[in-house]
Order: sequence, then C-alpha cells, then structure tokens
Amino acid sequence: MSTTRHHINRQRRRQAREIRPAAASAASAASVSSSSPSSSTPTTGPATEETTDRRASTATVTTTATVTADERTTDSREQPTDAREQPTRARPRRPTALVVLCALTVLLGGFAGWAHAKAQALRDDPARRNTALTDLARTSEIKGQTAKAVDRLFSYDHTDPDALGEAAGELLTGKAVDQHRDLLADVRQRADEQKAVITTTVTESAVERIDGDRARVLVYADQSSVGTAGNQAAPGGSKEATEDEGVYAGAMLAVDVVHRDGRWLVSGIDTFGR
Amino acid sequence: MARERARAVSRVLAGDRPRPLAALVLALTLVAGGFAVWAGQDWYRAAHDDRAAYAAQRDEALAAGEQAVQNLNTLDHRDLQHGLDLWESSTTGELHEQLVSGRAEFAEQVEKAKTVTTARVLSGAVTELDDRAGRARVLIALRVTVKASDGAASEKDSRMLGELTRTKGQWRLSALGQAPVGGASAG
Repeated sequence: MSTTRHHINRQRRRQAREIRPAAASAASAASVSSSSPSSSTPTTGPATEETTDRRASTATVTTTATVTADERTTDSREQPTDAREQPTRARPRRPTALVVLCALTVLLGGFAGWAHAKAQALRDDPARRNTALTDLARTSEIKGQTAKAVDRLFSYDHTDPDALGEAAGELLTGKAVDQHRDLLADVRQRADEQKAVITTTVTESAVERIDGDRARVLVYADQSSVGTAGNQAAPGGSKEATEDEGVYAGAMLAVDVVHRDGRWLVSGIDTFGR
Repeated sequence: MARERARAVSRVLAGDRPRPLAALVLALTLVAGGFAVWAGQDWYRAAHDDRAAYAAQRDEALAAGEQAVQNLNTLDHRDLQHGLDLWESSTTGELHEQLVSGRAEFAEQVEKAKTVTTARVLSGAVTELDDRAGRARVLIALRVTVKASDGAASEKDSRMLGELTRTKGQWRLSALGQAPVGGASAG
C-alpha cells in the first residue's frame, strides 16, 4: 500500500509544482488553494487547505531543494499510521477509495490465482488425465485402428512379401520399426521356407490409457499359419498340430500408439518378454 | 464504496480533472474481478466433472480386477486355507458360489499335487464399464508360475477375461475365463 501512497503524494507534488508559477505571479495563497485538487471536494476541511497552502507557499521560495525536503516530510508524515489518523479524516476521501480498490484488486487477483491452481490440480489428477473410456469416441477409434494395424503388421503372405514392408512403412514409427523387424524376421524366414500364409486376427482389445496424443492398448490376437509346403508351424514357435487348416496360437501384446496426422501409428510393441 | 467508485468513474469520464491513477486502479480491479469470475467458474466445472467420477470408477474397477485375478491364480499348498479365503473374498455372484462349493475338492487336489502357484499381472485394461449398474469387463494379461513339488518351475502366460460386479461399493470378480484361441476351429 505504501507505494500507492507515494504515488498519490508524488502526484500532488506535481500538481503543486504546476501551479507554482501562477502562485508566484499572483502572490496570493488563495489562487493556489482554489486550483488545488483538494479544494474541489466538498468534504475538505479548512485545516487541509491551510496545510496545502502553507506547503505550496513554501515551495515557491525554493524550487529543487523543497522537492526533496517535501518528499522527506511527506514520507515521515506517512510512516506512523496512528499519528496520521487525524489528517486522514480531514483529507479528501479519494485515497481511501483507492486503497479499497487496491485491496479489492489484490483479493480478487488472489482468488483468481488460487481457483485456477485448484482447477489445474483437479485436471492434473492422473485418473482424469487418462481418458480411456471417458472419451468413448476416441477410445473406440484407437481400438479400431490399433486392431487393424496389428492385423496387418503381424500377417504375412509368402506370395506377397512386399505387403508387410508396406504396412510397416505406413503404420510404424519410432522404436516400433526396429521392434517389428526383430519380431518378424524369424517368422518371415520360416514362412518363406514353408510357403506359408500367416494371418493375425485381433480377438480382444482394450485401451489401458489415453493421455492426449498417446495411448496404450492391450491386444489379444490369434495367429494362424497355413502352410503349403507340407509341415506347418505357428509363428509363436509352438509346433504341435500339422493339419491342413493350419495352426492357431494365441498372442498377447501391449501396443503404444501415437496420434499423428489424424491417424494412430504404432510407436511401441511390448510382447512381455516373449 | 459504490458511490466513491461512481464518482471516480464520472470524474474520469468527465475529464475535467484527469486522474490516471484512479482510472488505472479501477481498470485493474475490473480485470481482477473478471479473472476471479472466470477462475471460479473454471474451478467449479473441474470439480463437478462427471467424467472424473467415471474415470475414478474405471481405475478402481481395474485395480480390483487385477488384484482379484492375481489372487485367483496364486495358491500355496502350505497355506491353502488362507489362499482359498482370499479367493472367496475376491469374488462375488456365480463365481463365488462355484469356488465355495468346490473348495474342499480343490483343496484336496492341491494338497496332493503340492504345487505353489504365483501370478504376476503383466498388463490390464477395462473394456466396458457401466458405472450405474456397477458392471465392468476387464482384459488382464497374466504370467503364472507353477512350482511343482520337485522344485521344477514352469511359466505360462494367460489371457484372462474378467467380469466385475460392484457390491457394497467394492468391485469383485463375478466371472473369469481365458480368451479362447483360434475361435471354433481350435476347439
């Protein structure tokens, strides 16, 4: 608050300086008091007028020296709040209004900041940040696109080997590119040898977490391998059935996806160490 | 107060005696007031967001589901009664009844086999959640380790599908099974 008071004092001094030449030429204290801001308010007591007059007239005697002296005196006058009680009541009420406005500003500003912090804290709650299921449209979009991506990325037809590379180029990003290559290198080689067709179908999926542009999906998929070269093997490595319809294996994996250019791309594949 | 402000406003508007300080303070107060109203509304909306309650239920259901599935895949033949008690307390509905009715028989089998089964949840997610009805479906990827009496351990991954029902404010497992492999042709 003291800064505001300084402000008011400085303003008053400036006004006093402005009217100084006029006061000097007229050589009368009356003209000073009539143009002083305090005289315009009806609440002003005669005591204040006298003080302003005296201050104004002394100011006419010396110029620069008085400003500093004036500042010192006003400062010392402002410091003790109790001692000031009397002159405050006598002086115009405008400073009080300003003080109240300032206090109100601080209070309102403080409340605004506090409420904003509260709202932010609520939103930053991890449970709320995760919009899986709470944002149904996004959840089903992620599920659908991830299932399609997994179907394509883990299916392989030895007669169309380029399709896998194409799918990888379209659907993968980041470290998933390497992960996918490592995962499928073996499968690919075996499928080529056995002239097999590996088909992966997602049977169940659920979105674990959506955090803005990132999401993690748990996927259960079935893989079938149909060979035409005689003996078949499931891509998972289990060689049990050797029927012509093929071999089925269940797989589970967690897929990280990122939203890019309106599509969800696979950025990580977690096979839980298998 | 209001009169003071009105007077200050009229004085500023009239312009007969420019009072930049008063105008500035008044403007600041109004801006602060605007911010306060906006922040207050924002806070109220954040605190009364329906999705927050739904998200909390989802996380609660998942946590309960993961714990229950882990419990039901954990059993030590040396501490059978405690383990089976845990099974019963984790479940409700039909699954609970099945466990209770088959308890004696099952205990005998495990006693004979002397196996120690432990499970670890690898990952889990909720597929469906009906907040009002108190029903949820979860997918839980599980790694089960079975230690036989001779000390040989075997690991097996399970793709679990669970159904949860909320009873007395608690989510409990009401159905549990493995995701079928290969659809119809795999049998």
